[in-house]
Amino acid sequence: MKVRVDPERCQGHTLCAMRAPDTFELSEIDGHSSVVAEEVPADQEADVREAVLSCPERAISLIS
Amino acid sequence: MTTEEAAVDDDGGRKHHLVHFDRHTPDYRDRFEDITHELHGQCPIAWTEAHGGHWVASGNREVFELARSAEFLSNDHDVKGERRGYKGISIPPPPRAREAQGGFLEMDPPDQRHYRQTLNPYLSPAAIQRWVPFVDEVVRASIDEKIESGYIDFVDDLANIVPAVLTLAMMGIPLEHWTIYNEPAHASVYTPPNSPDIQRVLDLSRKMGMDLMAQLAEIRKNPRPGLVDALVRADINGRNPDDGELLGVCALLIGGGFDTTTALTAHSLEWLSQHPEERTRLSRERKTLLDSATEEFLRFYTPAPGDGRTITADCEIAGTQFKEGERLWLSWAMANRDPSVFPDPDRIDMERKGNRHSSFGLGIHRCIGSNVARTVFKRMVTAVLDRMPDYECDPEGAVHYETIGVIQGMRHLPATFTPGKRLGAGLDETLAELQKLCDEQRLAEPVTVRKSTARIDT
Repeated sequence: MKVRVDPERCQGHTLCAMRAPDTFELSEIDGHSSVVAEEVPADQEADVREAVLSCPERAISLIS
Repeated sequence: MTTEEAAVDDDGGRKHHLVHFDRHTPDYRDRFEDITHELHGQCPIAWTEAHGGHWVASGNREVFELARSAEFLSNDHDVKGERRGYKGISIPPPPRAREAQGGFLEMDPPDQRHYRQTLNPYLSPAAIQRWVPFVDEVVRASIDEKIESGYIDFVDDLANIVPAVLTLAMMGIPLEHWTIYNEPAHASVYTPPNSPDIQRVLDLSRKMGMDLMAQLAEIRKNPRPGLVDALVRADINGRNPDDGELLGVCALLIGGGFDTTTALTAHSLEWLSQHPEERTRLSRERKTLLDSATEEFLRFYTPAPGDGRTITADCEIAGTQFKEGERLWLSWAMANRDPSVFPDPDRIDMERKGNRHSSFGLGIHRCIGSNVARTVFKRMVTAVLDRMPDYECDPEGAVHYETIGVIQGMRHLPATFTPGKRLGAGLDETLAELQKLCDEQRLAEPVTVRKSTARIDT
């Protein structure tokens, strides 16, 4: 499973990093999110799915 | 509210979902859930004639699509009539005599973006994390003032104080001035224009404005780290804004930083008092539960219940045709209760999954203080859970705002608890100490300049 954050849609709500801190990192400057690595390790898949569902801007997508 | 389904066809059928909707009435607060479900079921985008006529978006999908249609929406408040005369985010707008642009929340890009870029390094998660020991000291001292008595008003004695002191610290304004700002920041929200108290509130607001002007002038002359310093030296799309414009920006930071976090904290503490088993669980399982519980309180209570916009061009969004110049109310609070996104929406579930609430807004105007709000809320609530775990709120003494058109807030929340021991100095002495730390460690620098966390020597 792969995960991406659309930088045009992300507004820095930070919920993804709250749910899946090993997958998403937040900019020190504005809190906008990016992925640490596109490939999601199996043990993080559940957290990443929850992050996708929690994003208020619907900015995170999964590619399987 | 009553819905006149398809009763009026005044404009080619565009406004066929005509409703009587006035969010500034006590009835809207009293029957919020019924009105919300009625709107969701019949007209998630409706037209009301209230306050000069405006659209009301309540459905989650509709609010999302509208909020994200930045190309057709304006936040602009054109007070001087230099652009298209749009009226900003308040519906109705304030009376002409008191009309002022509400900082970058009442601007559109590119200026709005320049302001946010200027302030973001003070307000990002990494920037706020540095303040946690400072916040904890203010919380500790506020609770120490009351801990031996077994009685506290969670609004007056805690939830008003901590957001106010932190906001001023981040701005670079002397902490001891917090009392100048505190009363008008809250009272101007909950005092209706026809109240006998309004003159007192306006006088206090004027004093706050004068202090802000003095701070702007002083910090222009003698740089001092903080949000005000960033503003007076800002390059906003090639210009350096004047003090009048910056006064609006500072008022936005204060309005956003004070009453909203107070409102969230008071409502959450009230609910936890009414649900002692949930309170025990939250305290015991805070490591796993505090984040999701915080988001759930945000969703359920939505302290800032919505924002106005102006339509900038004829368009169709979410199945409704809009015309240029029409006003629109985006109800974050009602979108947060849409059962198509939040199962059992009127119940608080501290473990709720998929909680994509819009309590900090959506799109480019996402609350710039969201990280402040979450952090201050969590530090206050956990300190209460630790130091007064058996507190009981007095329902007779609890005072909610009569209306929730601007902020869903509380004026008082008295509670009793088993008295405990003080841990340190009182509030005034603590604020004097913290002021020294602010100055010595330059705590209010942006995260780009100072990475380290505040050090408190106790």
